[in-house]
This record gives sequence, C-alpha cells and structure tokens, in this order.
Amino acid sequence: MAAGTDAREGVRLVYRRFSAFHRFNHYLVMISFFGLVLTGIPLKFKDSLWAEFFMGLIGGVEGAGFIHRTMAVFNFAYFFLEMGYMAWYVAARKGPIFGPDSIVPGKKDWQDIKGMFRWFLGRGPKPRFNRFTYWEKFDFWALLAGTFLIGGTGLMMWFPEFTTSFLPGVSLNVALVLHSNEAFLATGVIFIFVHFFSAHGRPESFPADEVIFSGSLPLDHYIADRPAEYENRLRAGTLDQVVRPAPTGPMTRVNSWLMVIFSVVALFAATYTMLLVVWPLLF
Amino acid sequence: MKEEILKTVAGAAGGLAKEFTCLRRWAGLGSLAIVLLVLLSGEVAWAQESAQPAEADQNGCLVCHGQEYLGAVEVDGAARDLFVRPQAYEDSAHGLLPCNSCHIGFTHDNPHQMVTNAEFFAETAREACRNCHADQFEMYQQSYHGELSRGAVAGGIQAPGCIDCHGMHQVQRVDTLEYRQDIQEICGQCHGGREQTFLDTYHGKAITLGREASATCVDCHGSHFILPTSNPMSTLSEANHLETCRNCHPDAEEGFTTFLVHIQPTSTDAPLVVFAVAVFYISMIVVVFAFGGIHTLLYIYRGLKNGLYFGKGGHH
Repeated sequence: MAAGTDAREGVRLVYRRFSAFHRFNHYLVMISFFGLVLTGIPLKFKDSLWAEFFMGLIGGVEGAGFIHRTMAVFNFAYFFLEMGYMAWYVAARKGPIFGPDSIVPGKKDWQDIKGMFRWFLGRGPKPRFNRFTYWEKFDFWALLAGTFLIGGTGLMMWFPEFTTSFLPGVSLNVALVLHSNEAFLATGVIFIFVHFFSAHGRPESFPADEVIFSGSLPLDHYIADRPAEYENRLRAGTLDQVVRPAPTGPMTRVNSWLMVIFSVVALFAATYTMLLVVWPLLF
Repeated sequence: MKEEILKTVAGAAGGLAKEFTCLRRWAGLGSLAIVLLVLLSGEVAWAQESAQPAEADQNGCLVCHGQEYLGAVEVDGAARDLFVRPQAYEDSAHGLLPCNSCHIGFTHDNPHQMVTNAEFFAETAREACRNCHADQFEMYQQSYHGELSRGAVAGGIQAPGCIDCHGMHQVQRVDTLEYRQDIQEICGQCHGGREQTFLDTYHGKAITLGREASATCVDCHGSHFILPTSNPMSTLSEANHLETCRNCHPDAEEGFTTFLVHIQPTSTDAPLVVFAVAVFYISMIVVVFAFGGIHTLLYIYRGLKNGLYFGKGGHH
C-alpha cells in the first residue's frame, strides 16, 4: 500500500484526478440536478401525500416551475461546457480519444464487467482498472445523453407554442413521456442504483469519496484503485504529470471541512429525494 | 338523472302529503310512513345551533333542518337525509339567500303541504336556478347536456342538471381553486377515464397541486353551453379549437391544437410513437435498475466478505 509514497521523502503525495474545470462542472451538475429533481418529482408523483406539502414549501407550482427552469439553465451550462471541452480536446489533439485513459468505452470494459462479477462471486481476482471504470463511463455517458434528452424535451415543453409551430402536437405528448421517464431513470441511477453507491458507497470509497471536490486523492488509494493506470504511467514515465505534493496551508483544512459538510448535506438530500421516489412505488 | 331524481323526490313528497290527508291509511302504510327524527342532539347542541341562526334563515327552516339527525323514510322505503349544515350553507355562494329563494313556495307549515304533486315540485326545482341564472340556464338548455335532459338525444343516457355539477346547499363560486380542482372529479362521474388522462398532463398535475391558473375540463370544453367536439359550435370543434387554446396561449398556432390530452401512453390506443417511447422507457428502467441493483448488492456482499468496509483493506 505504501508503494510510491516514498518518492519524495517527507512529503505527502497525492494523485491529481480532476482539474478545476471538471470539479466546477460537477458542482454545476450536482446543484442543478438536485434542484431539478426536487422541483420535478412532486409533479410526477402528484398524488403522493408529500407532493402538495412539498410544493407549498417551495412556492407552489409556480415557484417550483421557476426554480426548475433556473436550474435547467445551469444544467444546460454544464452540458455546453462539457461538449465544448470535448470538442476542444479532440480538435487540439490534447490526448488520445481511445485507449486506456479514455472515457470512451472499449473492449477492456466488457472484460472488467465479467471480471467484477467473477470477483463478486469469489471466482477470480478483482479486475485492475484504468483511469475510468465501466460504471464511471456509464455514469458519464448516461448523464450526457440524459441531459440532452431531458433538456431537449424540457425546452419543447417550456415553449410549447414555438415547438408546435413546426412540429405536430403529438411531439409534446412524446416530450412529456420521455422527459418524465428519463428523469425518473436518471434519478434512480444517480441516487439509488449507480452513482451514489459507486462513488461513495462501494467498499473502496466508503463512506465518502472527496476526489470530485478536492480534485486529488492519496497516492496509495490511487494505486490500489487504479492499478492499471498507475502501471501504464510508471512504464511510460508520465507519473510526474499527475502526482504532486498534497496541498498545505490553512485553507486546505477549511476546504476539507467544507467538503465533508457538503458531502453529508448532499447525502441527506439524496436520501430524502430517494425516499420521495421510492415512497410512491411502495404505497 | 335529474328527471328521475325529481320524480322520486316529487313522488315521495306527494306521497307524504297524501299520507297526511288520508289519515285512514296510517295503519296500513305504517312501514312507509314519515318518520321525523328530530332527535337526541341534546340541550347543548340545540343551544349552539340556536345561538347562531343562519343570517338568511328568516323563516326558521334551520330550526328543524339544522338538526343533524333530521330525516324521513319515504313512501318507497328509502331513507332521506333532510339535514342542512348551517355553517356549510352560510359559507356557500348562496349563504345570504333565504331558503325559499330556491325552495319556492315552501312555508313553515309542517310538513310543507304546498308540495302536493310531482309536477309542481319538478317545475319548482327547475325554475329555482333559472330565476337568477337565466343566461346560464338558457345556454344549458341548448347544450348537449340540456338536450339529454329533455330526452332529445336517443339512447336514454342520464343527463346532469344544474345541481349535479354545482351541488346544492354547498354551492361554490366556480372560480375558487377548490371548485376548479373538484370539477375534474365531477365530470369524471360520467366521463370516467377522461378524467385520469387529463390529470396526467401538465394542466392536470398543476391544478392538482394548487396552480389555480391551470386549465381544467371546462376551460377547453366549455361549461353551460357544452357540445360534442363534432358539433361546429363546440369550443373544440375544428373551427374553434385554436381560438380556445389562444385564451391562455395567445401565440399558439394550428399545430398546437393537435396535442392529445386524453391519451394513456402505455395503452395501445395511444399513437404508436408515444406508445413506443413509453414502453421503451419502462423496459429501460426495469433493466437498468435491476442490473444496477444486483451489481450494488453483489459489490456490498463482496466488500463485507473481504473485510473491505470495516477491515484492513479500507483506505479512509
């Protein structure tokens, strides 16, 4: 576990995983997604006991609609920033599009899925992951596609007169069904079935993974969690690009506390939202 | 429906009157006799009700009819509730009107011997609303519901009259949020299914959750002068549909009117594209949640088994 920490004596080293841009984008997604779910779910489950009560708290249907549309604008901002970043990444040849470090799914992901199930059942070693695991790739692309679909249909319903000036009215029927179901799917994926567990709940990260907020994680954690990327970088001599001394100074402590508080609040909010989602399914 | 109700009531009332005029029949018709149940409410309740007589109750109707247990057994043996909650009536849109502004010709003679025949009662009830709401009554007469009520439409379908949509003693202003929320259920009593599909649209969700400005059944279909959409004069006829939408959506174009309010996306009656999207998503949700759920549970199982959560393998 301690391999690598002795590279520079006396200095705690970290692996820098996310740039300021990506962390900023994650904040945008996170805040807007929470806002959208909290103001949209009561509409979907209008007959639930909590729906009307909750709508009252956030200013009725009109207040909720205002928050929902404002948050949608933030959500669009993330989407266009990310698309712009990807376009720039490809155009400026900032790095390979395919390959071990890429977010693009490849053959190894399929092998990793099978490998993980073997590991779950005690029939093999845990797969050695690259920079992004298959569930992280799923999270990323599902979110991007979901944002496009929910955002697009949301805009259609935001401006129904404009939409039907060039599309038949049934397009709004499709938009409603798609928006509502894709949103429900996304809420389930983020809060219950994929994202929250794979980011914070899985044994390697439990109880919280700060990396998306701080940008870096302890080197030993990195090596254990992404051994394939570590080996590739060791072999290619590119470890220096991502390993650096842990940030020090009074602000890091404040930041760390803020991140812990933020994570706990987020977890509570997510749990609450999860209850809102599950409640009507049970009763 | 209205006709029948009126007939029943009038028949009963006429019957009641007869009971009183032909005292000889009392014994033979004992089981069908009127039973006045001014009962048991006790000194306290009596005092409370009496202390706050409804302002409009100039004739003292509520002295008896404000008693919760007042009822009668009609000639056909049916129990009839004759109780009018004074507070509810006072809070209604008609709360300041004397009872006999609708119950025309009723006096405090016990038991209201003015009502001697069915015709009189039916006519009175019909006229009661018309006396003040002549315009609405006239529109109703010309509407599909009005046609039905006169038996002008074949098929013997029961038609709603004024009170079926507006209620009686608790009649509300139609522009209150409560009434606008209730109207869906009121229409749904006869137009079942249509109510549910409407409630699943944004209009339906918004009105359910208290957005008063959201459209309800009557905002599109009309109210007193309601007609089938096939009738050119209907608010939703081909000629009028866009104008109706533009009441709230002034920028709407022709395409706007082809939005389908009354469809159930998971029904095969829905347009294919809507049905396909709905079925696709239901399948997606099931598959993704099932795979994600199984993956998560197995991950937790392996984590616990290998001591990764609370053992040496943990990193935090």
